[in-house]
Amino acid sequence: MAMRAAVRCLSAANFSSRLPQLSSAAQLSATRLLWRSGSPRTLSSTSALSTALKFTDKHEWVQVEGGIGTVGISSYAQEALGDVVYCGLPEVGQRLEQMEEFGALESVKAASELYSPLTGEVTEINTELAENPGLVNKDCYAQGWLIKMTIEKPEELESLMDQAGYDKFIKSLEE
Amino acid sequence: HQNQASCSAVSTLTCFCFLTCSGFSTRSGLVLQSRSTDVHQNLALEDWIDANVDLQRRSVLLLWRNRPAVVIGRHQNPWAECDLKAMRRAGIALARRRSGGGTVFHDLGNLNLTFFASKKAYDRQRNLKVVTEALRRLRPELDVRATDRLDIILNGHYKISGTASRLSRQSSYHHCTLLHSADRSALSAVLRPSCPGIHSNATPSVPSPVANLIDHAPSLQWEELVEGVAEQYNKGSTDSGTVLVDPSDETLFPDVGRLEAELRGWNWTFGKTPKFSVETQLQLPEARRSGRLQVDVKNGRIDGCSIDAPADWICERLSGELSAVLVGERFCPNAAAAAVAALLRCENRRMRELCAAVLQVMG
Repeated sequence: MAMRAAVRCLSAANFSSRLPQLSSAAQLSATRLLWRSGSPRTLSSTSALSTALKFTDKHEWVQVEGGIGTVGISSYAQEALGDVVYCGLPEVGQRLEQMEEFGALESVKAASELYSPLTGEVTEINTELAENPGLVNKDCYAQGWLIKMTIEKPEELESLMDQAGYDKFIKSLEE
Repeated sequence: HQNQASCSAVSTLTCFCFLTCSGFSTRSGLVLQSRSTDVHQNLALEDWIDANVDLQRRSVLLLWRNRPAVVIGRHQNPWAECDLKAMRRAGIALARRRSGGGTVFHDLGNLNLTFFASKKAYDRQRNLKVVTEALRRLRPELDVRATDRLDIILNGHYKISGTASRLSRQSSYHHCTLLHSADRSALSAVLRPSCPGIHSNATPSVPSPVANLIDHAPSLQWEELVEGVAEQYNKGSTDSGTVLVDPSDETLFPDVGRLEAELRGWNWTFGKTPKFSVETQLQLPEARRSGRLQVDVKNGRIDGCSIDAPADWICERLSGELSAVLVGERFCPNAAAAAVAALLRCENRRMRELCAAVLQVMG
């Protein structure tokens, strides 16, 4: 019964409107996470998903799934950047330290450095962006992802902001 | 520190104390002028200021100019943008800057202006107004206007300034060129591709007809222009005048030498080129026919190579051997020549001709 309640919570758009649109893959894996766990505490609806998306003060997000972090920029960032015309991304296999510059997005406004949210190794880069850099503006949380990387120091995730924290942070910038 | 007006070295040091120690009282702006005409030193100085100066409460304008150089944007392809062979012959340097945008030709008749500010204070139109207002005061008869693309156009038609910028951790810089008296024939001689048949998605340049300010205001002196711009920038603040700095001085700019070396290096200049391919004909006069060359270049190195030479003129095994030797080498005639040195010296005259034809494509 508790399980059914959990699934109902999940399916009944229980997410605050401020949560970003997660890819269907992320939603599916989060659901599976809830099903597999036996402990009633983990059946709280948003816990698994809200820990999945973390933000840096450089307006990047990282979403963790199966030990791999997917990295992109937030809606606030893509709007501030303007139309992205080129994505300069690292090589697969490149090792990044947290806060290290790993590339740049060039828009009509400027070339903006990208900073790694975590320490780890690049496992994949979004090759769609070569032909279609505008995906970063159109779909920054899903198809506009930039890189995927391993997570060498999971404790670094603690230092990143969750959705609520990030929303507060943006508000403070606009003052 | 008290009598700095009389001693320029002390005043420079003091000014840098102001810049790097945020405890001092705020000055709205500061104008620096670089003593160097070396493009890599000046770009390194920009990097240094961007990384080390607290720009949250104050802004900086840097004025600089370079001996002849071609400067490409962050994500551009030097082989596509400029004629590397012609540049080598003429002693014209190549630099890749960290900001975006297109390719420009610098020489001593071109004034560069870099406006450093916090990200919050980033405002390119306001910066360009400093230039247009200065020009209006100096020569009111000139019609100078900034466009939506952030070019400055003279008399409705000629581009006299182009803009690029960079946003980093805490700060921003916006730099632009200003054509006072540049050598226009040198410019057009080098701003064309090194080799034909390049397929690339690197950021392209947008060519425009250009003019020098002196073409339309012959009496405008260089010093007059520099002073006019500095004065306009400092308008409304208590500061005046500019501070001359030496960008290679590590006592003022610790570690700037390392920044310069990085900018000068092959890895940054060529290795940062977005992946591209070249597909072109090979000139084989001895064969009286042409061949075809297809090369994939990644990080400035040959990643894949296929040479198609008439099979009745040179056997496929040999052209295959040449392709194989080139993979992994820098896409550069000198590096490639070293790699194929043995083949160039071999008995087979046709092999030598094939090698020469391939090297020719590389610029």
